[in-house]
Amino acid sequence: MSRIRDPKKRSLFLRHLREEPIEVLLFLCASFSIVVLFLMLFFITKEGSQAFSNFGIDLIIGQRWETNENLFGAFPLIYGSIMVVAGALVIAIPLGVTTAIFIAEILPFSLRDLIKSLIELLASVPSIIYGFIGVIYLAPQISSFFGISSGTVALTASLVLAIMTVPTIVGVSGEILSAVPKEYKEAALALGATRWQTIRSVVVPIAKSGILASIMLGFGRAIGETVAVLMVAGNTAVIPTPPWSFLSPVYPLTAVIAMQMGEAAVGSLEYSALFGLGLILFILTFIVNTLADMIVKRKPKMRSGRKWPL
Amino acid sequence: MAEVDIRKLNTWFKDNHVLKDLSLTIKENAVTAVMGPSGCGKTTLIRAINRMNEIISGSRTTGEVYINGINIYDENTNVYELRRKVGMVFQRPNPFPKSVFENVAFGPKIHKMANGKEIDKIVERSLKEAALWEEIKDRLNDSAFSLSGGQQQRLCIARALAVEPEVVLMDEPCSALDPTATTKIEALIREIGEKYTVIIVTHNLQQAARVSDFTAFLYVGKLVEYGDTKSVFENPKSELTEKYITGEFG
Amino acid sequence: MASVTKERVLFVIFGVPMVTCLLVFFWIVFVLSTGIGTLRWDLLTTSVLQGGIFEMIIGTVYLLLGAAGIAGPVGVLAAVYLVEYAPRGKFTRIIDQAINNLAGVPSIVIGLFGYTFFCRQLGLGISLAAGWLTLTLMMLPIVIRGTEEAIKLVPASFKEAALALGTTKWKATSSMTISSAAPGIITSIMLGVARVAGETAAILFTSCVLVTRGLPKSPFEPVMALAYNLFVKIVALGESPDEVFGIALVLFFIVAFFATAAISLRIHYRRRQPWLR
Repeated sequence: MSRIRDPKKRSLFLRHLREEPIEVLLFLCASFSIVVLFLMLFFITKEGSQAFSNFGIDLIIGQRWETNENLFGAFPLIYGSIMVVAGALVIAIPLGVTTAIFIAEILPFSLRDLIKSLIELLASVPSIIYGFIGVIYLAPQISSFFGISSGTVALTASLVLAIMTVPTIVGVSGEILSAVPKEYKEAALALGATRWQTIRSVVVPIAKSGILASIMLGFGRAIGETVAVLMVAGNTAVIPTPPWSFLSPVYPLTAVIAMQMGEAAVGSLEYSALFGLGLILFILTFIVNTLADMIVKRKPKMRSGRKWPL
Repeated sequence: MAEVDIRKLNTWFKDNHVLKDLSLTIKENAVTAVMGPSGCGKTTLIRAINRMNEIISGSRTTGEVYINGINIYDENTNVYELRRKVGMVFQRPNPFPKSVFENVAFGPKIHKMANGKEIDKIVERSLKEAALWEEIKDRLNDSAFSLSGGQQQRLCIARALAVEPEVVLMDEPCSALDPTATTKIEALIREIGEKYTVIIVTHNLQQAARVSDFTAFLYVGKLVEYGDTKSVFENPKSELTEKYITGEFG
Repeated sequence: MASVTKERVLFVIFGVPMVTCLLVFFWIVFVLSTGIGTLRWDLLTTSVLQGGIFEMIIGTVYLLLGAAGIAGPVGVLAAVYLVEYAPRGKFTRIIDQAINNLAGVPSIVIGLFGYTFFCRQLGLGISLAAGWLTLTLMMLPIVIRGTEEAIKLVPASFKEAALALGTTKWKATSSMTISSAAPGIITSIMLGVARVAGETAAILFTSCVLVTRGLPKSPFEPVMALAYNLFVKIVALGESPDEVFGIALVLFFIVAFFATAAISLRIHYRRRQPWLR
């Protein structure tokens, strides 16, 4: 266990081990996650290295993704992912944050458990079911409403993703809002503030960073969503014309990997390129999650300075 | 500067009958202490005066409380205006996680009492009233948490005074503070007692004796004795009061 | 009184998004219920080779049992370490963050890793075992977090009483803390199962095939699964929704069962454990 550098700590640790060998097992289980993350990074990079050495930065910014011609430029795919997620967030953020505020602050206590459970159930619905419903109901509606030939377009994917992202935002924001110490609310109410004034001027400012973190987590979830978007996004590796047109099919990163891995021969350039996409996704979600973590951890600084003189 | 007239006040929290037929007239411009053993209903009593019990689900109150002749439990009462007129300082200092200035300015802003430069004046006046101005006049934009415990509590007092209340309720305001801070705040309480009607809950008998002009003794939700502090402590009319004061229980 | 009316209006406006979310939930249930007609008992019990979906159901069950069997113990032990044993310091925070990061890895990336590491590197091939390990990666953060919370809710005094009687830390922890936290632990494992029951991307190329001859006889054989079949049928084979509605419904019911059971269990035990609010 060379991770513990301080010799004093190390001997203490070893003494501990002799006393409680079970602690080794516990430690190993706990470190499992870190080990797995490193393994992931290593192996995905390893498999993707062929593509990266072949294309270099073009793997990411190249504009053409043509499997038949062994051309792998992921820009349209990245664009597709970001577009669909942006569309989803535009809907999910207002919907999610206001719902979270409503549940935490306005809903009477007796209903709170029930509604929170229902939203949690919404989160439990597997993505393939969302995709299923998107294909059989949503896509045809969109197709007829906008008069386009097929409903599997970016808009449909954004709508489906929005519904899938809302529970994440509601869940995390809700937890943050409930954690706002009630002594602040009492202080505001005792000064004669209305419930709305209390929510707006006291509760929400305190919960701001947590709500931001929930949005980032929602973003991470959305960009990593595979099956649901795959079934409704259209899966054409192009940047829509015009670029802001949501009524055009797109091909998000996750969908590409899922669709093409089955056919890609192990060790081929295509195989490696798909792992390259996987690496992009891995790094992207890693950054987003780490940032969200940092934002949430920053909360205690709010109470810096003297703490309660207890 | 308001007389608080409590008539047959009863409060229940779910099935728990906390205040039983309480009647009491609080004199204006004086400091009245409410004392009694744990669970006797002291906090519930003062929270009935600014209707803060209603925030707790399952609470029910009957009876009347007249402030300056108006029943605050009347259905036409504007509870927000009531809470402006009746300020509250809590047991543990609870300044908002904002700057010192913003804390004091919060009340006047939400009640639209003033804006711009006027708010600055209100903040200064309140901090002076709370004997805090000299210490922090250069630190108005610092976080409220950078203050010591005693300063934070004085900040909370300033915050309550900023909206120009008539009654100030204090729920064991010194119990979370060290002795030096407590002394300062007790002096402050006597001072503001000359301008406002102050009702202070305390479990500290000596504090009640030091600080208040009148004392009420509560036991299991009922008013046992009420009178000027000197008489209550030196010549209690009720045997129960005497037992409490001499420390036989409590 | 204008401010009171204004406030009421605002609250109504704020309530609309929540109602919308709930409406969507009920809409989903409604849409799915339209296909109830396709469900017949014999569909569930007949082999795939004769038009039923039996092996798919059992395959899914096998996957879930195995994944829970690994993620459960590992997750609980990891959580116990983090709450009871881990020294407060940088390393513990790193482990903590790693768990959050693992939770955030897209399922398809986990599938990619599962394929290249479990299937190829460890030589498991496309198999049940590889599926177990891959799904464990997805379940683990849920189990760890849930167990951590459950343990933190148990009053320390239980364990301290045991320690004061002279037992070792582990005995005290396992006999008092873990057993008191058991409902919460079971809930989190069930939530983890609900999460991976419908998981497609992770098993897409690590453990499933479209058809197997009978049930797998060893963990090293591939398996059929509801989610996988549903996916392939719709996406690759272009089958119409009516043909696959049965699969979708069974999958939904399994997930709904575990999710509802977990949530109800949590609410029920929160009321029964006297040391909780």
